Amino acid sequence: MKFTTRAQKIFQVFNTVFLSLFGFITLFPFWYVLVASFNVGSDFTRGGVYFWPRMFTLENYERAFRDPRIFASLGVSVSRTLLGVLLGLVFTALIAYAVSVETLPGRMGFTFFFYFTTIFGGGMIPYYILLRDLGLTKSFWLYVIPSVYSFFNFLLMRTYFQTIPAELRESAEIDGAGHVRVLFQIYAPLSAPIIATLALFIGVGHWNDWFTGAYYQSRTALFPAATLLQKLLRESSPSSMREGQETVLETMRTFTPQSLQMAFVMILTMPIVIVYPFLQKYYVKGVMIGAVKG
Amino acid sequence: MKNRHGNRTKTLGQRIWEHRILYVFLLPCVVSLLVFSYYPMYGATLAFKKYNYALGIMGSPWVGLTHFITFTTSPEFWSVIRNTITISGLKILMCFPAPILLALLLNEVWNSKFKRAIQTMSYLPNFVSWVVVVSLLTVVFSPYGGIVNNIRKAFDLPSVFYLGERDYFYPLVVLSDIWKGVGWGSIIYLSALSGISPELYESAVLDGAGRIKCIWYITLPGIKMTIGIMFIYAVGGLLNAGFDQILLLQQPANMLISEILDTYTLKTGLNYGKFEYATAIGLFKSAFSFLLIVITNNMAKRFFEVGIW
Repeated sequence: MKFTTRAQKIFQVFNTVFLSLFGFITLFPFWYVLVASFNVGSDFTRGGVYFWPRMFTLENYERAFRDPRIFASLGVSVSRTLLGVLLGLVFTALIAYAVSVETLPGRMGFTFFFYFTTIFGGGMIPYYILLRDLGLTKSFWLYVIPSVYSFFNFLLMRTYFQTIPAELRESAEIDGAGHVRVLFQIYAPLSAPIIATLALFIGVGHWNDWFTGAYYQSRTALFPAATLLQKLLRESSPSSMREGQETVLETMRTFTPQSLQMAFVMILTMPIVIVYPFLQKYYVKGVMIGAVKG
Repeated sequence: MKNRHGNRTKTLGQRIWEHRILYVFLLPCVVSLLVFSYYPMYGATLAFKKYNYALGIMGSPWVGLTHFITFTTSPEFWSVIRNTITISGLKILMCFPAPILLALLLNEVWNSKFKRAIQTMSYLPNFVSWVVVVSLLTVVFSPYGGIVNNIRKAFDLPSVFYLGERDYFYPLVVLSDIWKGVGWGSIIYLSALSGISPELYESAVLDGAGRIKCIWYITLPGIKMTIGIMFIYAVGGLLNAGFDQILLLQQPANMLISEILDTYTLKTGLNYGKFEYATAIGLFKSAFSFLLIVITNNMAKRFFEVGIW
């Protein structure tokens, strides 16, 4: 409904200005770091570079990709993300399908069995001891095996499957199709929106997870990129930077640890920036379904 | 075999056998949960034991409530509890209403292209890692070339080392949390808002209601349920306080006010190797969180007529 009084028009102007400012504050930090990553490091620390690089360079990215640690960590991140998405989608689809079959004896029991883990847990230490005893703390599989399943994702997919008419499944069964065929040949093609949404959620979760690597992984060679970034951030944390900064300026190197980090931050952010807007219509719907039925 | 209504002809055993393939579908996740979620719950009995590496969790001797008593009487106890509740409280006070406000403002925008553009932008921070967010903060607030301090310099103000100063810790936590979560959080409120019938507004306007009255009497009651559910989650997670974020923003200078239950568990357990003690702290947290969810769920049922179960 539109209000046409003077006060309403003033409100519209205020609202537009406020929301534009909000959009600016949301995006500017990314832009600022992008600019920093393309600027000569020692020049950036002098200040005054905001919207466009003052001394353009690709050195930061060259160094980042030539750094063997960064290169290896990106390999770990890409592998765990691809594998994690694939396994996560398959296992989530399997249980979501099973529980959405209304004649399945014990389906509520299974749902509660899944749900309970979201409200109670054993805590970090018993979990860590378990991972250690299984030998996962020294292995790449640490990132993939324990996290194939998430209750939230299960809920989204189950809710979506429940919107598919059961008659479709029943008639396929009469034609002699088993559950495996129904799931992969009838349900899966109908579920593109939810599959896209979950692929994004699971993928982003894997790509961004720094904690597992930082606290549960004992081999530094197996750190994913997000964990490595956190370690670099710690090394150059404000408390240690206070002393370190002067010497960096003194030597007049063009390249600073900070500028390498900025390039690394952008390498981590870019895949997300490229993917997320295209899937928007899917995940927005997904979140709504989850919220309504959750 | 026929039951009373005559429409069920199969025993439970037969029905289970008929669905056997579905149990195979469930098997991998059930095993995964048993191993990685339920077994650690059993492992939490470590909180009542003295851990012996050779004997494992099961064989280690019982020591009763020793670790809980040590924790609750330690000088760190109250400071950790106070920090956890302060941070969560600040977040519920400020980060919880933020997406509601954003949704209300977006709902008033009539230019749909502008609205969509702002929405798309607002989702981006949700998809990046807290590590990236803290990296951005480090650069933006850096005393060496950071934009905030450059602006201060232009006004002849001294540089402030925001991330390293204790007084800026809580503001940074709250602001970065709003920045990261507000757009994403607004999605469900917007969907609730779109469910309100436009006729309600039209008739209210005919009755002479202004915008403020419309918001108060139509919009807010219309999204009351959604707010209620989100509030349960927020209060239920009171003892979490945003683990990732706090861990990454912790500095020696703010440790006294930034140490929360989760970070304290992590430090005593993984850094100092006091497994039993840390497990006790973790279990203390799990038990109280569980209680909180039950209580808030019951309260939400009473006041909002909604619950998560």
